[in-house]
Amino acid sequence: MSFFRSKKMRYYSLVIPRESAWVVMNELARLGQLHFVDYDPQLPMINRPFANYVKRCDDSLFKLNCLELLLKEFKKDLNYCENVEGLLDHFQEVQYNRMKPGHTYFDELESEIDQKKIQIQEQSANLHNLLDRVNVITEQQLVLENAKEILGQSMFQQQTPHNANEYQQLKFGQLIGVIDKEEEVRFKRIIFRVTKGNAWVQIKDLNNEQIDNSMRKSFHLNQNNTSQPRCLFVIVYPGAEESSSIRMKLMKVCDSFNRQRIEYPNSIDQLQKRMIDLTQQLQEAKNLIEMTKKQLEQSLDDLVLQKQGCNCSYFEYMRLYVLKEKYLYVNLNYLTMRGSIFTGYFWLPEGLEVMVEEKLRNAMQNNRDHYPTGQIQEIKPQSITPPTYFNLNEVTMPFQEIVNTYGVPRYQEVNPGLFTIITFPFLFGVMFADIAHGFMLFLCGIYLIFWKKQLLKQTDSMFNLMIPFRYLVVLMGFFAFYNGIIYNDYLSISLNLFGSCYSPENQEWKRESKDCVYPFGVDPVWQASGSSLNFMNSYKMKLSVILGVIHMLFGILMKGVNTLYFKNYVDFFCEFIPQLLFMICTFGWMDFIIIVKWLNSYQNNTDPSIIETMINQVLKPFDKPVNPVFPNNPELQLQITQILTLIAVICIPWMLLPKPLILGGKSDKNKVAMSDSQYQPLVLEKQVSDFDDDNNQQFHNDLQNAANHKSFTEQNHEEHDSGEIWVHQMIETIEFVLGGISNTASYLRLWALSLAHGQLAEVFYDMCLADKLDTGGILGGFLGGYFYIVFALLTFGVLMTMDVMECFLHALRLHWVEFQNKFYKADGYLFNGYSYKKLLNDNLKSSNSK
Amino acid sequence: MDLCVFGVDDGYAEAIIRGLRASFLTEAQYQQMKNCASIPELKSFLEETDYQNCLQADNPQIPTSILRQRLKKKLADEFEYIEAQSTGTLTKYLFHLRCRFMIDNVVNMIEGLKNKIDIEILLSNIDPLGWFPEIKNIKVLEGDDYSSLYRDVLIDTPIGVYFMKFLEESIENLHENRTLNDIQNLFREMKPEYIRTSLKKMWLEDFYLFCEQELMPTSQEALLELLKFEADFKTIQVIYNSIGNRDLNTAAKIITTRKQLCPTIGNLYPDCEKMYLQAMTLDALREAVKGCDNYRDLLKDAPDPLKREEFNVQTKTLDDIMYDDECRRYALAFDGQGSYGVFYSYLKLKEQEIRNIIWLAEMISRKLAKNHPGWKKIIIPFSHLGK
Repeated sequence: MSFFRSKKMRYYSLVIPRESAWVVMNELARLGQLHFVDYDPQLPMINRPFANYVKRCDDSLFKLNCLELLLKEFKKDLNYCENVEGLLDHFQEVQYNRMKPGHTYFDELESEIDQKKIQIQEQSANLHNLLDRVNVITEQQLVLENAKEILGQSMFQQQTPHNANEYQQLKFGQLIGVIDKEEEVRFKRIIFRVTKGNAWVQIKDLNNEQIDNSMRKSFHLNQNNTSQPRCLFVIVYPGAEESSSIRMKLMKVCDSFNRQRIEYPNSIDQLQKRMIDLTQQLQEAKNLIEMTKKQLEQSLDDLVLQKQGCNCSYFEYMRLYVLKEKYLYVNLNYLTMRGSIFTGYFWLPEGLEVMVEEKLRNAMQNNRDHYPTGQIQEIKPQSITPPTYFNLNEVTMPFQEIVNTYGVPRYQEVNPGLFTIITFPFLFGVMFADIAHGFMLFLCGIYLIFWKKQLLKQTDSMFNLMIPFRYLVVLMGFFAFYNGIIYNDYLSISLNLFGSCYSPENQEWKRESKDCVYPFGVDPVWQASGSSLNFMNSYKMKLSVILGVIHMLFGILMKGVNTLYFKNYVDFFCEFIPQLLFMICTFGWMDFIIIVKWLNSYQNNTDPSIIETMINQVLKPFDKPVNPVFPNNPELQLQITQILTLIAVICIPWMLLPKPLILGGKSDKNKVAMSDSQYQPLVLEKQVSDFDDDNNQQFHNDLQNAANHKSFTEQNHEEHDSGEIWVHQMIETIEFVLGGISNTASYLRLWALSLAHGQLAEVFYDMCLADKLDTGGILGGFLGGYFYIVFALLTFGVLMTMDVMECFLHALRLHWVEFQNKFYKADGYLFNGYSYKKLLNDNLKSSNSK
Repeated sequence: MDLCVFGVDDGYAEAIIRGLRASFLTEAQYQQMKNCASIPELKSFLEETDYQNCLQADNPQIPTSILRQRLKKKLADEFEYIEAQSTGTLTKYLFHLRCRFMIDNVVNMIEGLKNKIDIEILLSNIDPLGWFPEIKNIKVLEGDDYSSLYRDVLIDTPIGVYFMKFLEESIENLHENRTLNDIQNLFREMKPEYIRTSLKKMWLEDFYLFCEQELMPTSQEALLELLKFEADFKTIQVIYNSIGNRDLNTAAKIITTRKQLCPTIGNLYPDCEKMYLQAMTLDALREAVKGCDNYRDLLKDAPDPLKREEFNVQTKTLDDIMYDDECRRYALAFDGQGSYGVFYSYLKLKEQEIRNIIWLAEMISRKLAKNHPGWKKIIIPFSHLGK
């Protein structure tokens, strides 16, 4: 019954010498069953002994991330690890073959990663530089070509000097170059201002992104380069001397725009020579790019490659190893360091001590220097509750998840997750009752179960998200199907599976024989009768109340089991017993008379109203019932109701009074004892006795008092405490008594949702299909086909998705509130095993989904 | 009334600011920073805080100047994000805030160019908050010809207005029959610090006017108060720094310069104007401002400017005192809701935080002893609240 209560935990202290810390921790992580307790949760990580290592691991991970981006840029696909166990074995093997202390392997990897990162980044930077260079050259080519077009031949001709001096003034100088497109307007404006309008500026787009991209394409590189659009400018200004002030000024302005300015050659020959030169440079640069790229790809391929004996890419291997190393150091940081010895505490599920010791022995053998490895010793936990640990499998996981979402069970208390496995799908089924819908849901679950492997491979499938919950879906579908048969509801039509007991005869329904009973579920004749809704409502309503009361009674019983288990007899006698009696005497009795009423037939409109009976039981305790539930025996009924009412009324003060009185007395005694001795252990003993006490608060206060050693001087404080117990108990009692009524009423949602479901199905069927079926001929066929599609879509959209969600949520609520508030404390915390396997598995997922 | 509609346009931006408020380093964190032994250690500590992402890619032995640049970049990124989320008046308001940094940048550039510092270095030291595209064109500046700088480059920029006013005022102050030479002389002798102060004064006045005219009452209430104090502090600083200043040798010159540099807003103006303009000693200045708020208490501890040569790292200068008082006031602005004051305060306080970190980094890199008084010279935003 490992699932009924959480596993028993033992608290151990662990002592390891510094030299073998890494080896021991490495071995223990393979075991994966230790829950390390942080010795000082307030202490920031940075002040711990291994903070430096954690930091180094983080740095390495950061570097690996950089590399991963590059891998992605060059479209290298990594082989991701699928079998963690295999990988861990491989790690072990690598360590074994190294014949060096284990923790030094990380140093090696770290420097390797560092090297790789530097090398690869350098190569990639080279590549980008070269690309930029090619860009610059092509830009120059373009600029020169365009400038030639714009300036024309006459620019060269005017350079040949005339002898007449007066022509001097008509000469023009020119500047050409490149600027960013977005600065075009500003550029023009500044030039205008600087020259006071005496320069002619021409600007033309270069379309350099397209050129850039096309070039990248030719090298099979990533094309989403974000180079800014640029344009070329040509300025023509008066005065041709090299050192005229206007030229100097313009040059300064152009240079301040930070893009290149190009010397325009003096003659056509020079221009052509320049062009040829540029083409050559371009070719050289392109060759260089080809080479660099090859080198880079090679280095990247090294990372993608699978090393011998490893089941994933080398990159992934390094990443996971570093993660593992980081995890080890983070956990090692939970231990305190005293001199050269680490001391720490951990929780271990009962019975695993042998395995831990074996691992320690293993560590000793694997340790090359044969340092002494650690020791464990069981100690008594001091004032801390153990973690809650369940051995879960794929079937039980979703159900435990449903419970944990509300709250993790307290250590060793009854785990509602166990019952949820069957009650949750059942209550869902009561609400979602429909043979067809239930069956579809069932099929969906079956599909998930049997096609799981194929589905996992399609990462984009929406079914993927549902895979962990596949067993839940199957059970939900199955119970919806089952309840559908009981309600006899197939898409709002009743099925006549076993042959109805009634047959139409002269416009009346005739029963086949007196003893004829429809074997399973509701007789389909009800649907034809016209009063089917009335009948089903009353039936479903009563059924849901009966189910609800049984469910709640079960919850109360679990409370009894808990109190007995924790030997908390105060709660057993002062809370569990009166609560159980109260529930049985009120709503249990109501269930009973519902069933009695079903079993009897009443003549002449004397059938009793259940609600009236229940109300009269309290309001007119001494009057005989007018329409008795027990036919012909109103006296018996009166006696029973009187006794039950009396018991129920007595139960209320029973719940309220004794517990605070007893606890108050106890704490008084403790107080006296405490003032006598001031030893800590006393408090601890008290903790065991008060373990399942509702008034944890009180215990905490006591603990504080003991710690302060001042409790006997503070009389007021004690008063306050018992006052708190009273208030608490009062709230509990009121909650239970009123809750009994409101929770029972709350279970009526089982009826309400099933009604809503049935009515929706009926509406869809009537509106879309029913009357279209009568239209004959081809038209009828088309209409039928069309409306069938509408019907199918509505059924899928509204009933199979929205209604599933709704019923799921209401079933959830019934469990969380109505059922669990009867016994469930839910203030535990989860066991968090120190395990490589878990860590790596968690990290595998994220890299797969990327 | 404006509280009802504040959230319509500006609620999101305010919410972000209030979220960012959590990123301020706490006193305990400063304490830990003081315990760092080296720059790499300081860096790894900062990586645990909100500054994580902006430092990760850097080498552990980060120079202080780069560190400052990174921290400022982060602040600028945050600010830019908020600016992108804002609409209407808030956008205008945030832009006004930026102008202060633009002025700093422009003056730094001018100063750098005058000292013939390489343009690349200057450009890399620009405060990213005050970046604008024309800034790189400042290198067109020839000699000291500020007017042509204005005409060619700054005219279109947001701070062009202030620059123009500044030029006009400087030229107006010359005597009647001025020549071109006089103007050039004037500019040659003008110190960049002087340009900075007068530009900032104009900006402050302009910003004050903007707040007064365009903002809603709640924002006004918070902001005008803060701006008044800032103006007063500026005035006090101008007076304080001009006491015993060797460049200002005649009394008339001191007064005209002061008149030019002191903002014409604030609690001290115009009531105490006459008094403080005439103040030639620290005591006279104390006397002049005693009627206002806690100014006298502030000045009580200020060292005498006449003994400027004796100042060293340990001296708690007037600036330090004022930063301290400002920090307190800015932190208070976070108490009010539905006001633009928080944006202003956030910027100021973050600047203070960056100053603190840089100061500590300097102290650490110089390996000063832990009992050196310089360690105490940081002002922690929000540390006043606990007291």
